[in-house]
Amino acid sequence: MNPPDLLARCLGYLPQLLDGAITTLWLSAIAVACGFFAGIFIYMMSASKSRTLAAAARVYVSIFRGTPVLAQLLVFYYVPSGLGWAIPGVVAAAVGLSMNTAAYQSQILGTGFIAIPRGQIEAAQTFNLTRRQTLWHVEIPQVVALTLPALVSEMIDIVKASAVVSVIAVTDLMRVGQQLSSVSYRPLEVYTLAACFYLAITSLLSLAGRGIERRVARRA
Amino acid sequence: MNSFLSLIPRFAEAILVTLEVSLLAAFIGALGGFALNALRLRFPRWLAGPYRVYVWLVRGTPYLSQLVIVYFGLPVIGITMTAVQATIVSLAFYSAAYFAEIFRAGWASIPRGHMEAARAFGISRWSAFRSIEMPQAIAFAIPLLANQTILVIKESAVASIITVPELTMTASDIVASTYTYIAPYAMLIVCYWLLTQCIAVAARWAQALITPSRKTS
Repeated sequence: MNPPDLLARCLGYLPQLLDGAITTLWLSAIAVACGFFAGIFIYMMSASKSRTLAAAARVYVSIFRGTPVLAQLLVFYYVPSGLGWAIPGVVAAAVGLSMNTAAYQSQILGTGFIAIPRGQIEAAQTFNLTRRQTLWHVEIPQVVALTLPALVSEMIDIVKASAVVSVIAVTDLMRVGQQLSSVSYRPLEVYTLAACFYLAITSLLSLAGRGIERRVARRA
Repeated sequence: MNSFLSLIPRFAEAILVTLEVSLLAAFIGALGGFALNALRLRFPRWLAGPYRVYVWLVRGTPYLSQLVIVYFGLPVIGITMTAVQATIVSLAFYSAAYFAEIFRAGWASIPRGHMEAARAFGISRWSAFRSIEMPQAIAFAIPLLANQTILVIKESAVASIITVPELTMTASDIVASTYTYIAPYAMLIVCYWLLTQCIAVAARWAQALITPSRKTS
């Protein structure tokens, strides 16, 4: 096991791992984006005057935050197929991760919505902005700016949580690692390399988050 | 409903496995995190670098990848563990990084004046740590500690991948042998939800218990 051999083998793993990393990335991106809009919707439900809607939002958040992502993914993948409505693993993974992060994002965004002074919303009403215009042009830009650090850390959590989609037959980074290790019989180096890919993704995300945060802070 | 009830005995066993694995791992992880933080306070200069690298590595990678490195990777260099051992070891290693950060936040929450006052009264560093800092830091950290324990319970589901007979593995086994999907998976969600709610309730109770003593001190 001399170093040049190890390096050559690792280079050989790279193309497939990169493929897996791309799947991990777009799956997480879809989940975070869908989860953002769903999270706003869930927050709206929990803040609404209707007690049924507020209770439904609370139950939703409690279930998704109180159970493992893996269990949620198994439900989204196997329960439809058990009912005779089989869906591909990727779809189940995207839906499952989106609904999971929606629960967390609704809580994160909620702290931002509460921080906005009521006067701004009253002012928007005075200027005849509709409820929707107020939401998208007055509230949400500020909510995002306020909760950016927590949103970035949620993105990182979703990249990490997405590793379990390998269980429902999605060829993400983790799955590629499993395939490579069963072919090469060298689990230590393959899995370590896969972990390095995750580390690179999460570190870049956190750096990018800090950069954007600084820019937002300067503008404010 | 009947099929649901017939699942209870197997799930009851599985809950115990999940609890045993995750509470043991969380306990070791909390002790490790506490020790790490104490060392970090005592030797700030030497430990700052290695500590930061450890936290960066653990928090930057998925728990699943740490588990497969421990279970499938370490045997390559001669360290072989059973699935349960590998889960407990990796989960403790993983959660210690988070627990250390929680204790760090706990210590950061203590006003600087307390330590200055302790020094002015000639209280030793050790008794100040034990009787002034620790009670305050831990009272501050209880909700975070409970939250981290809940995270450990949730991460322990991943151990089903390396065939630890905990809740998720049991549900998948029942699905595979009976071809019923809804009842076992519904039961799975209910079990995890109950477990995590119990921890959350216990934490609130523990905090209520501790808060009055903070007021009088």
